[in-house]
Amino acid sequence: MFKVLRRLASLKITLVGMVLLITGSVLIYGNPADVPMWVVVIPLSFLAINLVAAIITNKRINHQPGLLVFHVCLLGLVIVAGFGRLTHLDAHAEIPIGTEFSADRLLEVRSGVWHSGDLDRVAFIQGPFTVQYAAGLQRGLTHSHVMVKNSTGQWIEKVIGDDRVLVIEDYRFYTTHNKGFSTFLSWTPDGGQPVTGVVNMPSYPLFDYKQDNHWTPPGTQLDIKFWLQINAGLTQDQAWTLDARNSSAVLVVTNNDVRRELRVGDRIPLPGGELQFDKLTMWMGYRIFYDPTIQWMFFIAVAGVLGLGFHFWQKINLQPWMEDEPEEPLSEILPEPIRPSITQQPITQPKKDQTMPISTSSQDLAATSKGRS
Amino acid sequence: MSPGSAMVAEIPWLWAGLSAYMIATLVSMWGVSPRYAGMPIIQHKTHEYIVLGCLALGVLLLATAIGARWVRIGHGPWISLFELLMSQLCSLGLIFTLLYWRLPGFRPSAVIVLPIMWVLGSWVLTLEPTASHFPATYYNIWKWSHVGLGKLFLALLLAGVGLAGVMILRTTRLGQSWFRSMPSDQVVDRLAWRFMMLALVFDSLMLIAGAVWAQDAWGRYWAWDSLETSAFLTWLFLAIGLHVRLTYKVPHWVSGVIIIGIFCMAFATYFGAPYISPAAHKGMV
Repeated sequence: MFKVLRRLASLKITLVGMVLLITGSVLIYGNPADVPMWVVVIPLSFLAINLVAAIITNKRINHQPGLLVFHVCLLGLVIVAGFGRLTHLDAHAEIPIGTEFSADRLLEVRSGVWHSGDLDRVAFIQGPFTVQYAAGLQRGLTHSHVMVKNSTGQWIEKVIGDDRVLVIEDYRFYTTHNKGFSTFLSWTPDGGQPVTGVVNMPSYPLFDYKQDNHWTPPGTQLDIKFWLQINAGLTQDQAWTLDARNSSAVLVVTNNDVRRELRVGDRIPLPGGELQFDKLTMWMGYRIFYDPTIQWMFFIAVAGVLGLGFHFWQKINLQPWMEDEPEEPLSEILPEPIRPSITQQPITQPKKDQTMPISTSSQDLAATSKGRS
Repeated sequence: MSPGSAMVAEIPWLWAGLSAYMIATLVSMWGVSPRYAGMPIIQHKTHEYIVLGCLALGVLLLATAIGARWVRIGHGPWISLFELLMSQLCSLGLIFTLLYWRLPGFRPSAVIVLPIMWVLGSWVLTLEPTASHFPATYYNIWKWSHVGLGKLFLALLLAGVGLAGVMILRTTRLGQSWFRSMPSDQVVDRLAWRFMMLALVFDSLMLIAGAVWAQDAWGRYWAWDSLETSAFLTWLFLAIGLHVRLTYKVPHWVSGVIIIGIFCMAFATYFGAPYISPAAHKGMV
């Protein structure tokens, strides 16, 4: 068993594993979405096996505390990262102002097979937000107001945005560049009760030229098309702040041959009922990230580097940085045969007011060197 | 820089700093020149003090250039290639100056290190000093540690490259003559790999700080974007180099070639990968 482990611990296997990992990384370079992760997972697994064997059998590693800590942490990092991928969740959500986050409205969900977080327990209400732009439509700071429940169950306001993250139940909510306008609509069927819906328009100002969408009111076969003409004060050549409170819009509604322009509060009769444009607001796009291992990964990585630093510090302290004092420069006219012997014997630095005599023959130089050594 | 470009505040300081580096480069080259080996100025190492003084002056002038730009555009040298090159010239110069001062035996390697710095210096002069936009995600405090550690890493690699060049050039008669005042190849090799060891520590710390910043700013600690993959490849190259050097007995010139290979990878990561796109992490700002 030990023999097998020793073979598995071979440095040649380590180098092969590293070359495979380089190959995998080159394959994934610039194109991580289209290349299967196995190109790096297989070499990493291979290296992890090699590392386990080396930690057990290689005295160079397990007899040097710093190096041992580094390699154990490296192994720990691979294991924890793997566990993180199996339990993670990555998703997006578009939450209109004034509405509560709902786990049912997640988009582009990717999660590990062991993901077991309780997203249903996450509760917050999206409040108003602003996004600052510099001249040239260069995005600046985002300030997104949200209402969250504190430990006593009361709603409190928080401001998040950019690198200020909202963390609830270990789920991390990040504002993104993705945000746009929402139209709140009411549909009142003939002789029925009104129902309300929200239609999110495409990202703004990224797609300001195509603010369209469509909606089928519940219980109907209608396919109502919308086009939103927005006035948000957008300027290309000046700083500007995107804010729903400073924006207005005209909603162009099209259904078969009917085309009407609605302002907030306007209504339009359609086959089977009546549509009302209730409110104009905005939605914020969030990236939702869950990985219970990220703090562990940080501490393991730091511990590993500290171990490595400690090992190098010990190693470096064993010998001075430059044990050979540099020699004095010699004239290029020095005859070739005696040059090696001179380089073996450093010549003492002359005093400041002296100039070292430069010999013109090998005998003179040898005598000078001997006399000074 | 095109002739028509406006003379903005940092440009005179940049030129002055690069001129100081240029003088340091020329004097260091003159210092190893065999023709003048017998001159008193070389015997007393006066030329080394001139080099040290010019380097220190160059660092100060470049720091002033960065400060002038900071005041002009309102943010530090984080974004455009012009800013990053200027910042690297200052930080690489600062760390190299400290090493030059503290390790006398290391000094002749300046004839290799300073021309590399001048590659960056020439490059920055071809760029427009246009004001850059400061993205919201760059307000994060981890940016400082990520960038600072990266600068230390690159400077240590550069110092190692100087010594690697010495080991390679010493395989020729001319090289032996130039670097005759340096310690033996064995000592140079050991010093070069000490720089590599320290570089690995700072590279690892840089990756950790970068991952924390990425998690805060973009909601993921690692996404295999071009720059991240390139940085990871550099770390792997360095790890392979150290394993090979510590395990096998490689000739000194091969050792030098390995170090230069690692530096080339790092150079491509710093000055190539981020500028395939206009932003440091493509699409992420």
